[in-house]
Amino acid sequence: MKRTLLKAGVIGLLVSGWVSSNLVLGQSDPSGKKRITDTYAITNATVFTAPGKAGTKATVLIQDGIILGVGTNLSLPKEARVIAGDSLFIYPGFIDGASDAGITKPKDLERPEGFVSSNPADEIAGITPWRSAKDQFSSSGDKVDDLRKTGFTLIQSVPDGGMIAGKTSILVLGSPTSTNLLKDNASLAANFRGSRGMYPGTPAGVMAKFRDVYENAELTQQRGQQYASVAGVKRPEITPTYSAMSEVINGQTPVLFTTPTELEIRRAINLQKELGFNLVLTGLEEYEAIIDVIKASNAKVLIKLETPSDKSIKAQKEEVTEATKAQYERVKDAYSKAIAQAGKLEKAGIPFAFTTVGTKPADLMKSLKVMMENGLSEQGAMAALTTNPANILGISRFAGTIEKGKMANLVLTTDSLFKEGSQIKHVVVDGFVYDYELTSKKKAEANGEKKDSLKVEGNWDYKTESPQGSSGGVLAIAKEGDTYSGTITYDDPSGSGKTSAPIRDVAVEGNKLTFFFDVTASGMTIAVEISGEISGTSMDGTMSIAQIGSFPFEATLSPTLISNN
Amino acid sequence: MKRLNKTFFAFLLAFLPFMAMAQIDGEFVKPRTGKFLLKNATVVTVTKGTLNNTSVLIENGKILEIGTSIAEAGTEVIDCTGLFIYPGMIDSGTRLGMVEVSSVAETVDYADLGSFTPNMQALTTVNPNSEAIPVTRVSGVTTVLTVPTGGLFPGTAALINLNGYTPDQMYAGFKAVVMNFPSSARRGRFDRRSDEDIKKDNEKALKEANDLWENAVSYNQMKKNGAELNYYPEMDQLSKVVSRELPLLIEVNAASDIQNAIKWVEGKNARVIFAGVAEGWRVADEIAKSGIPVLTGPVQELPTRQSDRYDIPYANAGKMAKAGVKLAIRTNEEENVRNLPFHAGFAAAYGLGKEEALKAVTINAAEIFGLADQLGSVEVGKVANLIVSTGDPFETRTQIMHVFISGYRIPLSNRHIRLYQEFLERSPGLNAN
Amino acid sequence: MKKQSYFLAALLGLSIQIATAQVKKGSVLIKNATVITATKGTLENSDLLVQDGIIKQIGKNLNAPSGVQTIDATGKFLMPGIIDAHSHVGLDVVNEATAPITSEVRMKDMVNPFEVGIYRALAGGVTVSHAMHGSANVIGGQNATLKHRWGSIDPQDIIMQDAPRTIKFALGENPTRVHGRGAGIQPRSRMGVEAVIRNGFNEALQYKKAWADYNAKASGKGNTTVAPEYDERLQTLVDILDGKIIIHCHSYRADEIYMLINVAKDFNITKLVFQHTNEGFKVAPEIAKYTMGASVFADWWAYKMEVYYSTAFNAAILTANGAITSINSDDAELIRHLYHEAAKTQRYGGMTDDQAIALITINPAKQLGIDDKVGSLEVGKQADMVIFDNHPLSVYAVPLMTFVDGVKYFDIKENADDQRLKISATEMVEPIFLSGEAHRCMQDTEFLFETTESLFNQKH
Repeated sequence: MKRTLLKAGVIGLLVSGWVSSNLVLGQSDPSGKKRITDTYAITNATVFTAPGKAGTKATVLIQDGIILGVGTNLSLPKEARVIAGDSLFIYPGFIDGASDAGITKPKDLERPEGFVSSNPADEIAGITPWRSAKDQFSSSGDKVDDLRKTGFTLIQSVPDGGMIAGKTSILVLGSPTSTNLLKDNASLAANFRGSRGMYPGTPAGVMAKFRDVYENAELTQQRGQQYASVAGVKRPEITPTYSAMSEVINGQTPVLFTTPTELEIRRAINLQKELGFNLVLTGLEEYEAIIDVIKASNAKVLIKLETPSDKSIKAQKEEVTEATKAQYERVKDAYSKAIAQAGKLEKAGIPFAFTTVGTKPADLMKSLKVMMENGLSEQGAMAALTTNPANILGISRFAGTIEKGKMANLVLTTDSLFKEGSQIKHVVVDGFVYDYELTSKKKAEANGEKKDSLKVEGNWDYKTESPQGSSGGVLAIAKEGDTYSGTITYDDPSGSGKTSAPIRDVAVEGNKLTFFFDVTASGMTIAVEISGEISGTSMDGTMSIAQIGSFPFEATLSPTLISNN
Repeated sequence: MKRLNKTFFAFLLAFLPFMAMAQIDGEFVKPRTGKFLLKNATVVTVTKGTLNNTSVLIENGKILEIGTSIAEAGTEVIDCTGLFIYPGMIDSGTRLGMVEVSSVAETVDYADLGSFTPNMQALTTVNPNSEAIPVTRVSGVTTVLTVPTGGLFPGTAALINLNGYTPDQMYAGFKAVVMNFPSSARRGRFDRRSDEDIKKDNEKALKEANDLWENAVSYNQMKKNGAELNYYPEMDQLSKVVSRELPLLIEVNAASDIQNAIKWVEGKNARVIFAGVAEGWRVADEIAKSGIPVLTGPVQELPTRQSDRYDIPYANAGKMAKAGVKLAIRTNEEENVRNLPFHAGFAAAYGLGKEEALKAVTINAAEIFGLADQLGSVEVGKVANLIVSTGDPFETRTQIMHVFISGYRIPLSNRHIRLYQEFLERSPGLNAN
Repeated sequence: MKKQSYFLAALLGLSIQIATAQVKKGSVLIKNATVITATKGTLENSDLLVQDGIIKQIGKNLNAPSGVQTIDATGKFLMPGIIDAHSHVGLDVVNEATAPITSEVRMKDMVNPFEVGIYRALAGGVTVSHAMHGSANVIGGQNATLKHRWGSIDPQDIIMQDAPRTIKFALGENPTRVHGRGAGIQPRSRMGVEAVIRNGFNEALQYKKAWADYNAKASGKGNTTVAPEYDERLQTLVDILDGKIIIHCHSYRADEIYMLINVAKDFNITKLVFQHTNEGFKVAPEIAKYTMGASVFADWWAYKMEVYYSTAFNAAILTANGAITSINSDDAELIRHLYHEAAKTQRYGGMTDDQAIALITINPAKQLGIDDKVGSLEVGKQADMVIFDNHPLSVYAVPLMTFVDGVKYFDIKENADDQRLKISATEMVEPIFLSGEAHRCMQDTEFLFETTESLFNQKH
């Protein structure tokens, strides 16, 4: 039954995608964004249909968000838009096992008059199993874009909230005009976070309360059955909590427990053993020592796609005592173990996937590569991005591989995915093609503009455009050791002439310069952020003022003034 | 009916000195002075060896004579056969007398508002009738340094003897301006500042300290030149450190802070004493080289770092002493200053040795406080702060049989003992109405 | 249906045994020690043989079976592993301070085997600790009795699985401050504390009856009675009333101690131990007659109003009146030298060596209901023991080795200094904590107070 419902849901979505053209309103589309076709053919690309499969030259044909065919001699329909794939590599779209992208936490409810902290209402205490991630999700969030840019096409969206936050939704990161919903109530999101200042306030209370909710939901169901079959039975009290828990108790909906650490993983497994629900562990960060325990539990596993920062290890001091050295070694050892965990999980035969909750999308691939340099195989990494999450989420019928009839979710790269320098050029989601600009790092290097030769210090003449017109001034930057300081002149907001301010928080990363300065106007201090890319003696960037906006910023390094310094 | 163990009655006999001096209905035993001859004891002088079968004569608050054949005439003879005489122990850092019940704010007087309050006087706030004082002194601790806490310069500490009805009667001749050296460590598990915030706070506090010190130097110079200065009691007090009239007692614990503090005092020509020094063992050689004496403790404490060897707080004093640091021991306690001998015993067992540990609660403290001619040993002419015990005063089972403070014979009673006397065999007992 | 049977099992008081990995059991022969048995006097120059974690023989001239290591303890003192009847070491959470009764909360859920405090306690000779819920609530959570098998990574492996269930109660200032002053609900006074306990037990009786009525009818055809609400909070109180759980009650004043004795009498509860019990000496005859005794501090007093009228002679008075008495730590530092704390009863009350040793061995074992397994050196008992260089009641005593189940977990000569089991992968500079990290009864209640400053001075 579940399956047919799901199918119906998917088909329904696609159908609505078809007919929700604006014709109904008697309007055409003046936005210029309307697609001319929803049929695409990516020709003669290197296609990796599934983890472990070698890449073969083939054409991928998609229509209506579905893969129509993969092969070498497909006949292409006339309406197919052709993307020359000769230099491209195609992978199945990645699936994020648990995601917070696009999620906005619902506002905390106000405590009612006479609120008793020892016995708060469920929804105040963070027990909201009826809530759904889809109601908290917006596809216009920055993280959604960033995640898609990284190759993710499907997510299990996790609601934000307390110990039982609500149900997850499986969503495709597709067109903003669609609800993008693939499966609602996919799992129940739970964690060990207590409610501040009320019961349950600590993980200890949360565990007790979880047992209580579970047992009583079970009893409520039992009373309901009794009520339905026997006359003269007292009407059972049905609460939103117990109703929403019933699918969990019946084994239809698993519990997605956020358990970053070893002890939390054990706590979730203990609850699972006591109560008997289906368990998916998510957000795992520290699990190296208990892989056998996880395996024995049969719980499904989503590890956090993040590796610890190596900043402090790199920053360690050279001249230290033997005792301190021994301490450093222990930290390094802990670090080495942490980055090798994913590989060990793979070797143990646990088909894990990833979660991006709490991560920065820009760092995801970097973290994955660290895992791969430390034991995770390429096939294992691919599986964790595609087929494993599809299996864990129960969506492998239509997601996880490149096959005829599956969803058109693809990642198109310029080179073999994990190769240094490989970049994502297109991401296809639900048949929509997203194009990404390639960065030309190599070109810059070829021109001999090494990072080291970057010249930041000196006097820059700058210009900026704002709705009030253009203005400009001088930005003087000095370098002392590794730190930059300086001043900037600008049009005095209170009248005529120029005034100046010191610049602060100057940061140079690669060829990118960012700094702030404060403008005082009518007693208010406004922080202005400048960020720009330096190339030779010119700088191109933006000037941003919070709550006002961003404006173009251009500057050139003045050669005559340098000698004055 | 009563199932009292026989040993308890035996113990009561040992308690006879307590009983004899304890309160009897309608009568209160007061401390009293006189000419006391402590006869025929083993005298552990600390500075001049251990003397067997020796008597000590006390009069006018001083030790008058030590010898084997002191005339008994006109003296109150206290037979000390089989007993030991030690100098009264000195706890070099407490809050004794400045707090009665720590959770009741109205009774807590060791900290005031503001970070620059060196003019706050511990001595005037000491409550001579604090219940904790008689509880402390029967353990053999006769003298304590009582220290204000709080901000950067929280006040002026004072050394007091644990007998008397006015602070002046109790004052033992040493005061010091207290400084909490700006710390780069966490204040405990409730301190959730980030590393950066801690660093910033530390730098800010150091700058504040430097500015205050510079002002104090100027203030002192102007004062010396006879300038008429505005009323500024805080600065006036700190300037006394600049002029060396008062020593500076610097509370400092983390290794890097100790190193910073050593640098900070360089060239300041102040009389500096370090207190706490929990991580002294990490930089013991540097402390020794600086020549700065140390009041360390508590000994019975947890290591400052998770990775530290479990017994390092017990061994800290021993390691510093071995490196050549001059040190005394403190409990940093209030109501349980009575545990000083046990802190010393632990330090002794974990490397300091019994002899050095005894010095650390007697003569070393006296020397650090500049009172070696008055306190810290059993010598003729010194203040009669003496204890008579059944043995080693650090050993837990040892009973203290007599205590003399400034020549006063102290009644061996306090709330704890009185409650024992009342309730050992409660009447009515279980069933009587 | 599987769920159903579990549920019924829980109602019947059959706790689900979580399968545990086999814990390590050791074999060792200790030769020529002064053996302090705690129950059968002190044996000079004697040997003690442990096989598979159990004491097999105590006597002279014992020989080591093949493969069993011999430790020469000539001139050394061997005593039973020290038992701390009140500790919070090894717990991630101490207080679920959000309701006056939280009997459903289990400290066993929160055991953290990685806490260095466990090793530090071992280094002080402590082999068993009673990891308790805090004292914020009138009826707090259920406690865990731990065996200090240091190095275990599974919390189940340091839980003493064969120890009976115990629960924390708390009277006086802490629950009235947290709930009355903090949350604005009862109890605000010691009257309220009594009322909360009596209300709880009476509700538990109703709960028990409701389930009994339902179970009697449930199987009948056409039954119209529905199952009552499940409430582990009340179920736990039912278990107390049924004698399945030992109460360990944080208490200070004589009046509140006497109150709880009366409440216990009214509800036919006999498994009752008082914790801290600073004024226990005032009602020592009653504690001796009606309870399993008192677990007290050696000398703590005056840190709050309700301990102002204390005496360090408390243990001596309680013992003299026949109450089972133990000395506890409730503190991560104190737990490191309970042998010394016990010795203080010799200064304050002249207790004999045997009596003082019992305060930290067989007596706390009795109060935790594990005296048939640990707490003394007797043939057949679990081989938890400590070797000291001096008599353990001497201030100069230094623990040299500590064994749990015959396995040596602490050795002063062999063990590395850095005993951390968990190391941050990113933190090169270790934090320094100056005021110690002593666990406290009121831990995890910070949020209830405007400033955490007040907690610096707030001990137990």
